[in-house]
Amino acid sequence: MKKLLNSHEFVVFLILMIISIVIGFRNPLFFSASTLFDIVRGSIVYCIMGLGVLMVLISGNVDISFVAIAAMTSYSTHMLLLGLGYNGGIGLYLVVSIVFGLLAGLLMAFIVNQFDLPIFYVSLGYQTLWYGFNLFFIGRAMNFNLPEGLVGYYSRFLIKVKDPVAGETGLHVSVVYLLIIAIFVWWLLKYTTFGRGLYAMGGNREVAIRAGFNVKRITYLMLALSGALAAVAGVIQGAYSRSFNPVLFMGQDLDVIAAVVIGGAAITGGRGSVVGTILGVLLIQVLNRGLIFLGVSAEWQKMVVGLVLIIFISIPAIAEQRQGRLKYFPMGKEK
Amino acid sequence: MAEQKRGKFPGGFRFNIEDRVLLLSVVLIILVIFFGAIEDRFLTGSSIRSMAFQCPEIGLMGLGMAIAMMIDGINLSINDTANLSALIAGLSIVKLAPFFAGHEFLSIVIVFLVAIATGAACGALNGLLAGYIGAPPILATLATLTLYRGISVVITGGKTLTGFPKELSIIGHQVVMGIPIPFVIFLIVGILMYFVLEYTTFGFKVRMSGTNPTAAKFSGIDNRSIAMKVYILSGILGAIAGIIVMSRTNSVAYEYGTRTYILLTLLISVLGGTSPGFGNVVGVILATFILQVLSTGFHMLLLGVRGSSFFKDFSWGVLFIAILIIDHFMRREKSI
Amino acid sequence: MNEELLRVEHISKYFAGVRALDDVSFNINRGEVRGLVGENGSGKSTMIKIIAGVYEPDKGDIYINGNHYKRLTPIISIREGIQVIYQDFSLFPNLTVAENIGINRVISKGGRVVNWKEVYESAKEGLSRVGADIPLDAITGELPTADRQIIAIARALLEDARLIIMDEPTTALTQLEIQHLFKTINDLKKRGISILFVSHKLNEVKEISDSILIFRDGKKVLDQEAEELDIKTMEYYMTGRQIDTSSIAYSEPEEAPPLLKVENLTLRPCFSNVSFELKSREVLGITGLLGSGRTELALSLFGELPAESGEIWLEGKKVFIKRVQDAMEQEIGYVPEDRIKEGLFLEQSISNNLVVTIIDWLASKMGIIRNQTKLKTAEEWVSKLEIKTPSVENPANSLSGGNQQRVVLAKWLAGNPKILILNGPTVGVDVGSKAAIHELIRNLAKQGMGIILISDDIPELMQTCNRILLMRDGRIVKEFRREETNEEELHRHLVAAKN
Repeated sequence: MKKLLNSHEFVVFLILMIISIVIGFRNPLFFSASTLFDIVRGSIVYCIMGLGVLMVLISGNVDISFVAIAAMTSYSTHMLLLGLGYNGGIGLYLVVSIVFGLLAGLLMAFIVNQFDLPIFYVSLGYQTLWYGFNLFFIGRAMNFNLPEGLVGYYSRFLIKVKDPVAGETGLHVSVVYLLIIAIFVWWLLKYTTFGRGLYAMGGNREVAIRAGFNVKRITYLMLALSGALAAVAGVIQGAYSRSFNPVLFMGQDLDVIAAVVIGGAAITGGRGSVVGTILGVLLIQVLNRGLIFLGVSAEWQKMVVGLVLIIFISIPAIAEQRQGRLKYFPMGKEK
Repeated sequence: MAEQKRGKFPGGFRFNIEDRVLLLSVVLIILVIFFGAIEDRFLTGSSIRSMAFQCPEIGLMGLGMAIAMMIDGINLSINDTANLSALIAGLSIVKLAPFFAGHEFLSIVIVFLVAIATGAACGALNGLLAGYIGAPPILATLATLTLYRGISVVITGGKTLTGFPKELSIIGHQVVMGIPIPFVIFLIVGILMYFVLEYTTFGFKVRMSGTNPTAAKFSGIDNRSIAMKVYILSGILGAIAGIIVMSRTNSVAYEYGTRTYILLTLLISVLGGTSPGFGNVVGVILATFILQVLSTGFHMLLLGVRGSSFFKDFSWGVLFIAILIIDHFMRREKSI
Repeated sequence: MNEELLRVEHISKYFAGVRALDDVSFNINRGEVRGLVGENGSGKSTMIKIIAGVYEPDKGDIYINGNHYKRLTPIISIREGIQVIYQDFSLFPNLTVAENIGINRVISKGGRVVNWKEVYESAKEGLSRVGADIPLDAITGELPTADRQIIAIARALLEDARLIIMDEPTTALTQLEIQHLFKTINDLKKRGISILFVSHKLNEVKEISDSILIFRDGKKVLDQEAEELDIKTMEYYMTGRQIDTSSIAYSEPEEAPPLLKVENLTLRPCFSNVSFELKSREVLGITGLLGSGRTELALSLFGELPAESGEIWLEGKKVFIKRVQDAMEQEIGYVPEDRIKEGLFLEQSISNNLVVTIIDWLASKMGIIRNQTKLKTAEEWVSKLEIKTPSVENPANSLSGGNQQRVVLAKWLAGNPKILILNGPTVGVDVGSKAAIHELIRNLAKQGMGIILISDDIPELMQTCNRILLMRDGRIVKEFRREETNEEELHRHLVAAKN
C-alpha cells in the first residue's frame, strides 16, 4: 500500500484529480459524462501511440519517427483500399495498416541493428523520409472520401449521452481497442522476457547483453510493435476526423513523448508504466480542455500548458538534486 | 576495460570529426555536380544567390542546436525562440516607429538588440532549467518550446505581424559584393562560432563538460554556468535567424517553421558530426549546404511533377540515413 | 576430482589491429580455484569475455564439459554452467533484487514468459545458498556495494554454475567482507564448483587459489601451483621486472606551523568533529573502511560536499570552502577515487586532459588559448611523469590504466597545488605503475607539497606516509606514526574498525 502511495503513477493520478476538482469547482459543467467521454476520446490515439513510445523510452532510446509512420501507414492504407474499391469497415483498415507499420518498424530496426546506430539519430531521418514519401508518392491532399463502412465510425458509441451543448455524444467504441492494447502492452512489459528485456536494456544495455538478452531481437520486436501501434492510432484518427491526412500528427511527436514522460517514464530509460502513460496523456488532455472550462481564452492556453510543463519537470529535477547530495551517503541508511 | 558510459542523450556515440567533414564535402560536391550536369538552371548566378538567401536561417538554428548538443543537451525551443525574438523586435519597431521617423537605420539596430536580448532571455530560461535545476534538456526545452510559442500566440493573438519599415527588408533582400546579406551574417557568425569553440577557454570547457560532466566538475569547471552560457548563445543564434526570417518574409508569424524546422536543425546538427563533447562548425555549415542543394536541386528537377517539393524531404531522409551508414563503415574501417 | 571442466587452446584475439591475446591455452578442473593475475591490458578481461561468450576469439578452440566450440554466445556459455561476476557486478540498478537474481534462469531456459512466482522463489533460494538476507523487493541500485556483490554471487549460484569467474571481486570490499567472500569460495569449492579468481591483488590471489595463471602482454607467462609461488616471483612474472621496496626515502615534514589545520569539521551523517593538521612536506594517510567517512571528508576539503560546521585554516588563515572553485583558489587539488568516471575525459586528447585545471592560465586575458603553450605544457607533463604515448593528441582512452592514472595526477600537479588530496591513487593500477606513483608522491612532498593520501591499501600507506589517521564511523579514532607501527598492527586496527 505504501508502495502504491509513493509511486509516480499515484502522484500523477492525484494531480489529475486535483486539477479536475479545481476546474469543476470553477465550472460545474466540467463534471459531466459528456466532458469525460470527450476527454477519453481525445486521449485514445495519443495513448495508443504513447504505449509504443513507452516501450522505446523504457529501453533507453528516443524515437520521433512514430508520427510519420502513423501518417504513412494510415494514408497509404486508405489510398490503397480506396483504389481497390473497398467498402467495408475499420477492420481491414487496421489489418493493412498494421502490416505496413510492422514493416516500417522492422526496416528501422534493421538499420539500427545492422549498422549499430542510435535509434534517435535514425528516427530523425526516418521521420523526414516517411512524411516526404507520403507527400510525394502517395498524395498531398487530405482525403475525405471514406468507404461506407467507415462513414459512421466517428459517432459509434458504447454509451450514449445527450449533452445540452454538444448534442449527442458518448463513450467511443475505440476505447475497446485502447483497453485491449493497454492490457497487451502491460502483459508484455510485466510477464515476458521481451518486456523485462526492455527494462534491462534501459537499466544497462551492456549488462543486458551479458545476461543473455538478445538485444537485437528485442529491438526488432520493439520497433515493429511501436510501428504497429502508430498505424492503429493513425487509422483511428482518420476514422474520427473523417479524413485521411498525409501529414497526420506532424509536429506532435514531442508532445506525445512529453505526455509519456509526465506519466513517469524516464527519458534515460529503465522506468515507465502503462498506467502512467495513460495518466500522462489524460493529464495533458484535461489541462487543455479544462482551460476552456475555466474561461481561459484559446490564445492563452498554449502558454499556460507551457508553464505547467515547466513546473512539472522542475519539481522532480529539484527533488532529484536534493537526493543527489545523499548519494554520497550510501552507508548512512545501513545503521 | 572501462565500460563506456552512455550519455543521457542521445547516447554514447561519437563521430570522427575530420572524417565527417571530408565525407560531407564529398557528398556536397557530388550533389552539386549531379544537379549541375542534368539541370542547366542549377549552377546559375540567380539560383546560387537564391540558395544563399534561403539557407542561413536554418543554418544558424542548426549551429544553435549543435552547441547545445555538444554539452549533451538539446534545444528544441530554438525555432520558437527565433519566432518570439523576431516578434518582440518587430512589435517594438512598429510601436517605436513614430520616434524613429527619419532614423530608420537606427531602428534596424534596435531590432537587432531587442531580438538578441529576447533570444538571450529565452536561452537563459533554458539554461536555468537544464543547467541549474537539472531537468533533462529534452524535457526542459520542450516545455519552453510550448511556453515561447504560447507567449507568441498571446502577443499576436494568433495573427501574422506585418507592416515593418522598408529598411528592415534590406537584410533579407540585399547583397553585399554580390553576396546576400543573410549569407554574410551566416558566414560571420559561423567564423565567430568556430573561433569561440576551437580557440577559447569557453569552447574548451564546453567540450570537456560535454565529454564527462563529473570529471569536469572535479577539474573545477562549473558545468551549470557553462550550460547557462551555451543555452544563451543558442538562444542568440536563434534570434539572429529570427531577424533574417522577419526581414526576408517582411512578416512574423508565431507558427513559422514550427512543423519542420526543429527536425531540420537536429538533422543538420547530427549530420554535421555533433556529439557530446565534440562538434564542428564546418560540418554543420556543410550539412546546411547539402540540405539546401537537395532542396533547390530537386525542386528544379521535378518542376511540374505533382508534389515535387516533397521529394526533397524524402531524399533528405534517405541521404541522412545513408550518411549515418557510410559513417558506420568508416568507423569500423578505422577500428580494424 | 581432477576431471577437466574447461580447456581453451591457442586463443588469439585482436582489437583494432592490436593483439589482446596471443596463443593462450590453459585448463580448469572441477572444484579447482584458479587464480588469474596480470597487469591492466594483459588480456585478463578479454579472456573472461571470450569464455563468457561476449567476444569471439579470432583463433583457437574452447572445450567445455567435453564439448568443442569455435566461439560461444552468452547463452551457450550460461547453459554450459559458466557464470561471470563482473567487477561492476552486472546488475540492473532499476530492477528489484528478486528480478536481478531470478531473471537469468528464465532467459537461460529460453522462456518467453516470466513467471513471477518462480522468479521470487528462485531469488529466495539463491540468497539462501549464500546465506544472506536481503529484501527481495528492494531496488538494487539503492543497496550498498557488499549487498550488490552478494546478489551477483547468489545469481551465479542459482544457475547451477560449474565455473564461476570472479573479475576483481575484492575491489569494492572491505577486509571483513573479503574474508567472508573467501569463506564462500571455499564452500563452493567443496561442492565441486570451479572458480576463476581474477585479480591484481597478489596476496589475495595467492591466499585463495590452488594454482595461478599469469598473463603479460596478452600471453600466458606462468601456470603453476600456488604453494610453489611467492609474491615476489609473481610480481616478477607480471611486470617482467624486479621491484625493490626495501630502501625507501621518505619525505621529512617541515618543523613549522602547519600548512592546513582542520578543526571540528562536521557533516552529518558522514563525519563529525574531525580535527587534524597537515604540515608542509608531509604525507598524511587517512584510512578506514568504506563508509567510515574518509571519502566524504576529502570531498569536503575540496568543496564538492561542503561541511556544515567546523573550521579550515590554511597557512594560518581561516578559509571558507563552499565550492570546488574555492578549493582550487586555495590551491587544493583532488585526485578522485574513480579514475574513469571522475578523473578522465576518455575521448578527449591527452593534452586536453592534462591542461584542464589550468586552461585559464594558458589563455590570454580575452580567454583565447595559446595553443603552443598548451601543447608545450602537455608535453612537459608527459615526459615528466613518463606517460607512454606516441602523441599528446591521442585520446586518453588509448592509454593503459597506469598511464591514465598518471594523466589524472599530472592534471592536478600542473596547477602546482599546495595541498594535494589523493583518494585511492593506485586502485586498479598495475604493480609497476604503482611503485612509480608512490615514488612520485614522496618526491612531491619533498618538494614542499602537503599530501593527504586516502587509502585502505596498508602497504601503500606504509610506503608513503609520515602519519596515518584511522577513521571509524565518521570520527578519527587513532593516529599512527609510521616509524612506530607496522603493517600487522594497522591491519588489525583497520579490520577492528568494523564495529
